[in-house]
Amino acid sequence: MKRIYVLISLVVALGMLLSACATPTAETVVQTQLVPGATTVVKETQVVKETQVVQVEVTPTTAPQNLLPRDETMYFNGQQWNPVVCWNPYSSNCNNAMAIAAGDNSRVLMFETAYLYDMLDGKLYPLLADGPYQWDDAQTQITFKVKAAAHWSDGTPVTADDFAYTWATNLKYNTSAGGNFSPYIAGVEAVDPSTVVVKAVLNDQGVAANPLMAVAYLSSTYVMQKAWTQTVEARTGEDATAFLADAADDVVYSGPYHMYFADETKVILIRDDNYWGQDASMWGKLPVPKYLAHAIYKDNAAGTIALLGGEVDVSQQFNSNIQDSWKFLGLPISTYLPDPPYMIGASLPTAYYNLKSPGLDNVVIRKAIAIAVDYPTIIANAMTNQSATFDQVPRSLMNPTPGEQALYDHEAVADLQWAGNDIAGANKMLDDAGIIDINGDGWREYNGETLHYVATCPNGWSDWQAAIEVVAAAGAKIGIDITTNYPEWGDYQTVVTKSDAPLPAGYDIFMMWSDGAGPTQPWGRIYHLLSSQFVGMPVNWNGNWGQYSNERVDELLALIPHETDAAQLKSYYTELVQIYLTDIPSFTLMYRPQSFHTVNETVWTGFPHQDDGSVPPVPPLDCMDGWSVACLYNVSLVPAGE
Amino acid sequence: MKGYRRYFLNKAMWFAITFLCAFLLNFILPRLMPGDPVAGIVAHIAQGQSASAGVQAIYQQYTELFHTNEPLINQFLYYIRNVFRGDFGFSFSQYPRSVVSVVSSSIWWTIALQFPAIILGWLIGNTLGALAAYIKKGFDKVLMPISIFVSNFPAFGMAVILLVIFGVSLKWFPTSGGYGYDMIPHFSLDFIWSVIVHYQLPFWSIVLIAIGGQAIGMRSMAIYELNADYVKYARFMGIKDRKIIGYVFRNAMLPQVTGLALSIGTMVGGALIAEIIFSYPGLGYTMLHGVMGQDYPLISYTTLIITLMVLVAMFAIDIIYGFIDPRVKAAQTE
Repeated sequence: MKRIYVLISLVVALGMLLSACATPTAETVVQTQLVPGATTVVKETQVVKETQVVQVEVTPTTAPQNLLPRDETMYFNGQQWNPVVCWNPYSSNCNNAMAIAAGDNSRVLMFETAYLYDMLDGKLYPLLADGPYQWDDAQTQITFKVKAAAHWSDGTPVTADDFAYTWATNLKYNTSAGGNFSPYIAGVEAVDPSTVVVKAVLNDQGVAANPLMAVAYLSSTYVMQKAWTQTVEARTGEDATAFLADAADDVVYSGPYHMYFADETKVILIRDDNYWGQDASMWGKLPVPKYLAHAIYKDNAAGTIALLGGEVDVSQQFNSNIQDSWKFLGLPISTYLPDPPYMIGASLPTAYYNLKSPGLDNVVIRKAIAIAVDYPTIIANAMTNQSATFDQVPRSLMNPTPGEQALYDHEAVADLQWAGNDIAGANKMLDDAGIIDINGDGWREYNGETLHYVATCPNGWSDWQAAIEVVAAAGAKIGIDITTNYPEWGDYQTVVTKSDAPLPAGYDIFMMWSDGAGPTQPWGRIYHLLSSQFVGMPVNWNGNWGQYSNERVDELLALIPHETDAAQLKSYYTELVQIYLTDIPSFTLMYRPQSFHTVNETVWTGFPHQDDGSVPPVPPLDCMDGWSVACLYNVSLVPAGE
Repeated sequence: MKGYRRYFLNKAMWFAITFLCAFLLNFILPRLMPGDPVAGIVAHIAQGQSASAGVQAIYQQYTELFHTNEPLINQFLYYIRNVFRGDFGFSFSQYPRSVVSVVSSSIWWTIALQFPAIILGWLIGNTLGALAAYIKKGFDKVLMPISIFVSNFPAFGMAVILLVIFGVSLKWFPTSGGYGYDMIPHFSLDFIWSVIVHYQLPFWSIVLIAIGGQAIGMRSMAIYELNADYVKYARFMGIKDRKIIGYVFRNAMLPQVTGLALSIGTMVGGALIAEIIFSYPGLGYTMLHGVMGQDYPLISYTTLIITLMVLVAMFAIDIIYGFIDPRVKAAQTE
């Protein structure tokens, strides 16, 4: 018996040692080689050469610091939910949230953009660029200078040629950035080593087809070193598949941080003390934390426990009833706003109507359901009050930020806006329209058919499911039978994004997201909500999933990007809001933050808060997105003893 | 020995047939799930994009890369060809990581957690069950209801209770991770101790439930054997209790050994609940992520490993039975 226990102990110890001492996930470099005598297959008009993919295992070097000093490390959660796959900004699959997240509010910890977007004031601030950008008089191209101090991690300067080559590469390999901006950007040229010209695609009038998108390019796309890009092209044989799959373990960057360690359990970035941004022309100093670390938590609950326990400093995840942590637990935890909604709402999770469902082609029924929904309950249950209510921010097409709210005439649409829970109003509306319960079964009929709908969202998205349940409950109060169904995301997305055919049964009222804050907003959000351009697409990931079509809306969407007169712009946006609140092809269920931003100030302090006096204002985007990266230069350690 | 060889060959043949059927099902079944895996990948990329054509192009790119636009038979032939090269394909959800890379980086965490937990739970549970059957009286009256209660505890319940009591309230153990949140793996006593400490709650959340189930099973088998005629005869013959107990437990152990083999065979499936509750690294969550993302290659590969391990375990048990149970060998020599 004793021998058995000894054996068990040895097995247990060996097992733990094996797992703990396993090397981190090896970086995989996929190289494509032409196989001699490879078969050439002719596929219609395309010649496809068979290639053999050779995997080269690249083991990251061992980190010299095995225990991160707490007073030099800032911990995050809510960004990285699975292991990092690669460090290649051209790829869309790196699952590398700390380093690669280009978009409206690009993450600029490792890779940088020309400009930084500040969602609080809607402006672009120069990062790699030197000074503001300039449109030419004909509005056909944008010019900006490159900062003289900007250099890459290998010491070579960032030049205009890097910008030009990055764009050409994005186009050549059909990257996500290339695909998104190619309809709007005709080319990027280096006039001289420090001058970049971004040429816009022109419309029939000979001006930029979409000036908003052309400007958005400046803050939404990373610039990569030309020399490094050419290195990757050489080792992948300029094969698009291999190029995009390259692990980029040797990537050259310009940002303040770079890869330090990554495995199944965490990812760590370390500050580059040679970072060019410490020059007086930019930040004037290095960011304060030496390490930025993100443990991989499997769900929100684990992340919340870590936040409460002081293992996380900045949390980008939904923490239910976060206010309890400072009100009842007395922890040094805070959000950007001290009171509800605690966060700055930026996106508008939306319930879409299938406009071809019987009855939902009738605006009276659509409006009755929409005004009957108990939105305060949605906000209290699904968001635990981390959303503005529709009393605080009346519904429109704009998010709650002051910049967007100023873009439309509130008085002109006031009579169209509703706050919800208007059961009496909904019932009256339906009764007046003759949509009544004829057979006495408790449900209204329309055109001889009982009104029955299915409200749906993906299974497991608990906040959305909570919202859909409230929508269904509203139906019962106004005599419309609404049941719920929650298919798996894989199934749901396939159905919803197929816009070249009517939506099938079971998708009468369905939830999808909307755009958040960005340089093209609110135009981008409205475009994705209402543009008929997406109707008829076999794979539609852009929007307007209810397949709404309105010519005037499309006209306004075409006019807005070219309009520079503020008053005219306001009238366009006001008209769009009026159309939206009149036709009601969909309706906003709640406001959702661009990023959740909760901080634990046990170790670090100086995070952005409302009225913190920062100029430009630092947005609550977890110290890494767009202008919010300024936070890393403003933080300091909590004095000992506090 | 001739009879035994026949027994062995018979088992080997059924092993091969079963494996072939399982291989086929492993490929087909995930691909019968509704939904489009490529659409899931594109969803992540396409959010916020304004150019519809760009999204279409990306979709097309991935569809061709993963061959999801081709007939199932073509996909199966690609799969067979690659398997013979030792290439199980790229993970859809973690492209461009290969499936082998994804699994190998997390499987050792799972094995290190599951294997000792299964063995220890089996040993303790069977010992307690055997003792309860033999001692009876008060020990049995206490152990039996506790075992029934604990064995029926849902895994998430046990994990959450341990987490709340020992992690959150008492702060005796960390609440998440495979090692310290501020550590990087290296060979030192601090790191080893960190791994051991992080190991405790997930480990005991599995072991405690396993003990209950094993105790009940072993108790039942032992009671059955203790009441057998040969035991009474042996007692009448004056054979010592110690020797009789050896006979009894050798017989009672047989079904438990089968259960142990099955548990070891399926352990690669991961302790999903423990991994999620404790954010412990391992294959279970990887598999769940693969299933939710319709990652066909990852699902096929992991289920193939599980299938293979179960088959090998059952095959090994069949062979071992042939040696330890004379009745099996006697049947084969007839």
